[in-house]
Amino acid sequence: MEEVNKQDTPAQKSLDKMKHVEFVQSLDSKVSRQSYEYWISEHLRMNGLYWGLTALATMDKLDALPSSEVIAFVMSCWNENTGGFGAFPQHDAHILSTLSALQILILYDRLESLGDERKNKVKNFILGLQLPNGAFQGDSFGEVDTRFVYTAIQSLALLGELSKEVIDRATDFILKCTNFDGAFGRAPGAESHAAQVFTSLATLAIANNLHLIDQSKLGSWLSERQVLPSGGLNGRPEKLPDVCYSWWVLSSLALIDKIHWINSEYLESFILSCQDLESGGFSDRSGNQPDVFHTCFAITGLSLIQGKKHGLKAIDPVYCLPSEISANIKKWPVDYS
Amino acid sequence: MLHEVKKQRLTEEARLNKLKKDKAKIKTYRALTEEVLKGKIERQYSKHNLDLTTKLIDLNPEFYTIWNYRREIFSKLFEDGVLDKKETLEKDLGFSMEQLKRFPKCYWIWNHRVWCLLQLQSINEANWMYEFGIASKLLEMDSRNFHGWYYRRFVVENMENNMKIRHKDDSQQQIYQYLSINIKEYQYTTAKISKNISNFSAWHNRSKLIPKIYDNLKLLSDTTAFPSIRHIFQSPYHILMHELNYIKTGIYMDPDDTSVWLYLHWLLLDPFFVEYLKPESSDGLSSYMDILKSQLQVVMEVNALEKEESSTGEDNIWCLKSILIINDVLEKETGDNSILNTKLEILEKLIRLDPLRKGRYLDYRNGAAKLYSL
Repeated sequence: MEEVNKQDTPAQKSLDKMKHVEFVQSLDSKVSRQSYEYWISEHLRMNGLYWGLTALATMDKLDALPSSEVIAFVMSCWNENTGGFGAFPQHDAHILSTLSALQILILYDRLESLGDERKNKVKNFILGLQLPNGAFQGDSFGEVDTRFVYTAIQSLALLGELSKEVIDRATDFILKCTNFDGAFGRAPGAESHAAQVFTSLATLAIANNLHLIDQSKLGSWLSERQVLPSGGLNGRPEKLPDVCYSWWVLSSLALIDKIHWINSEYLESFILSCQDLESGGFSDRSGNQPDVFHTCFAITGLSLIQGKKHGLKAIDPVYCLPSEISANIKKWPVDYS
Repeated sequence: MLHEVKKQRLTEEARLNKLKKDKAKIKTYRALTEEVLKGKIERQYSKHNLDLTTKLIDLNPEFYTIWNYRREIFSKLFEDGVLDKKETLEKDLGFSMEQLKRFPKCYWIWNHRVWCLLQLQSINEANWMYEFGIASKLLEMDSRNFHGWYYRRFVVENMENNMKIRHKDDSQQQIYQYLSINIKEYQYTTAKISKNISNFSAWHNRSKLIPKIYDNLKLLSDTTAFPSIRHIFQSPYHILMHELNYIKTGIYMDPDDTSVWLYLHWLLLDPFFVEYLKPESSDGLSSYMDILKSQLQVVMEVNALEKEESSTGEDNIWCLKSILIINDVLEKETGDNSILNTKLEILEKLIRLDPLRKGRYLDYRNGAAKLYSL
C-alpha cells in the first residue's frame, strides 16, 4: 500500500474505438477462417456474436456488421424440436445460446421476426427448464447454476413472458445461494464469485426483489474486488484481476447504487491498459491475447464508469444491453398488470 | 474466452507454418464434425458413432452438442443391451478424467462426469469414495478451482444420501456416518489452509461445515464418539474460541491477506455464534462483549506491530477495517456513544490509506450506508 501512494496513477490512454470495431469485424473474415481456432469455437458462436455486437452497439457502431446476415444466422440456429436456440446451426439448444439469440434480435429491434408460434416454443423451452426448487438447468442434461437462472429470467423478460410463479421460485433459489460475505455462489453452498453475484443480482433486479438482500454487506464485498497495483477487479478474494470483472463487479455495484465504492480512475486505467493497440480488442490482462468476450465486458464496463468521456452509449446493468434498447422491455411488475 | 494466454507474436515464417498446419487440422476437424453431426441428425446410435464422438471430443471438449449426442448413444445402447452400463460408464469416467486434466475449467466435462455418476447411482454402482479421491486430486492441481470444490460438495452430498439409505432404520448410525464425512471435510479444510492461508475456498467451506457438524453432534447419543474434535464442538462458544485461536497465527503472519479477515468477520458476526452468546451465555462463560473486546485487543496489537515495521509508520488497512467493524458492533450492543468518535477517526484514516474505497468510507461517515445490517 505504501508503495502505491507514492506511485503515480498510470498514464491515461484513450479508447481506440476504430481498432476495436476492426477487431470485431475481423473475427469472421477470410483470414480468421484460415485459423483452426475459428472452427473449434463454433460452439460459442451465438454468444460470441452477442458479445461482438454489444461491444459494437456500445461504441455506436452496430452497423459494422451486416444485420441481415446476422439475423439469418440467428434464425438458422433455432431448434424446432426443443424450441430453443443452439450456438450454431445443427448444435443443440441451450439456455445460454437462447438468451444470446434473443439479445441479438432485440439489439436490431427484430424480436417480432420470431413470429407467434416460434416465440411460444421458445417460451415453453425456457419454462421447461425450471426445476422444482426454482433453479433452472441449462438444458435437459441437468447442469444447474445461477447463471442459468439469470439467462432464463432475462430471456422471459425479453419475450415479455414473466409470471409471479416463475419469479418467486427463481428468487427463492437465488437467495439460497447467498453466503456469509453477502455475495452469491453458483448454487447453494458454493463459494461467492463476482460473475455469480451479477447473475444473482440481475435476476433479483428483474424480479423487483433487490430489497431482499443485505446491500451494504454485498457492496462491501464487491468493493474489495478492486486490487493494487493494477486497479483492476478480481472475481474472488486473493485472485488476480481480469478485465471481464469490470462488468460483473461494476454492473452489480450499479444495481445497488454503489459504483462510487470503488475507484473509477484506477479502474479506467486498468481497462484501457488491457487494450491490444495492434490488433484491437481486449485481453484479460495487459499483454495477453485479446478475445471478443473480454472486449465486450471491457467496453460495457467502461461505459458504466466513463461512458460519456469515451463516447460510449449508456448500458443497462440488468440486461447488458444499451439502455435505449432495454427501455422498451416490459418491466415486472408494473408493465404486467 | 481466453484466460492467461500470452499474446503471440509470430514471425512471418512461423505464421506461414501455422497456416499450413491449420489447413490440415481444419480439414480433419470439419470432416469429423460433419460426420458426427450427420449421425446425430439421423439418430444413428452405434458403437461406431460413439467412437467418433470420442475422437471429436478429444479434439474439442467444449463442443457440448457432441457430449449430448454421446449420452444419447449411451442411453440407447444400454436400453438395447449392446453395452454394459456399469462397465461403459466407469470407462467414461476415465475418459472425462483425461479431459479434465487438460481442461480443468471446462463446465461441459464436469457436467458429463456428474451425469455418468448419477447414471451409475441409479443402478447402485457409483463409487463415491473413489470420486472423493478424485476431487482431492483435482484440488491438488489447483486449490482454488471452484469446479473442483463444487464437485467435492456434490460427492459429499451423495455420500450423505447413500448413508441415509444404507442406515435407514438406524437414525443414530445415520448421524454418526454423516458426522464422520463432515468432520473429515472440516479436517481437509485445515490441511488446505495450512498449505496456503490465502485459500479462501477452504475458509468458505469451513464456514459451511461448522454449523452442520455442531447440529449433528448434538443429536448423537454416543457422547464418547469423535474424541479428537468433540471438545471443540461442545458449543458455539467453544467453536468460536477454537477458531479464533486458530486464525490468530494467520493474522500475525500475513495481515494483508483478505481470506483470514473475512473469516474473522464471519466468526464475530454470524448469528450461529452471536445468538448463542447474547446477552450472556447460559453456561456462564465469557459473553459476546468480552469476546469482541478481546479480539479488538488482538487486532490492535497486530496493527501496532505492523505500524512499527512499516517504513511509513502507517496503520495496516485490514486491521483498521476490522477494528472499525468490531467497534461498530460494540457501539450497537452497548449503546456507548463515545465509540462513534473512535469510528470516525478510523474512517478518516481509511479514507486516506485506502483511496480505492474512499466512496464507501464516506458513505459510512455520512450515515448513507451501514457497515452491516445485523
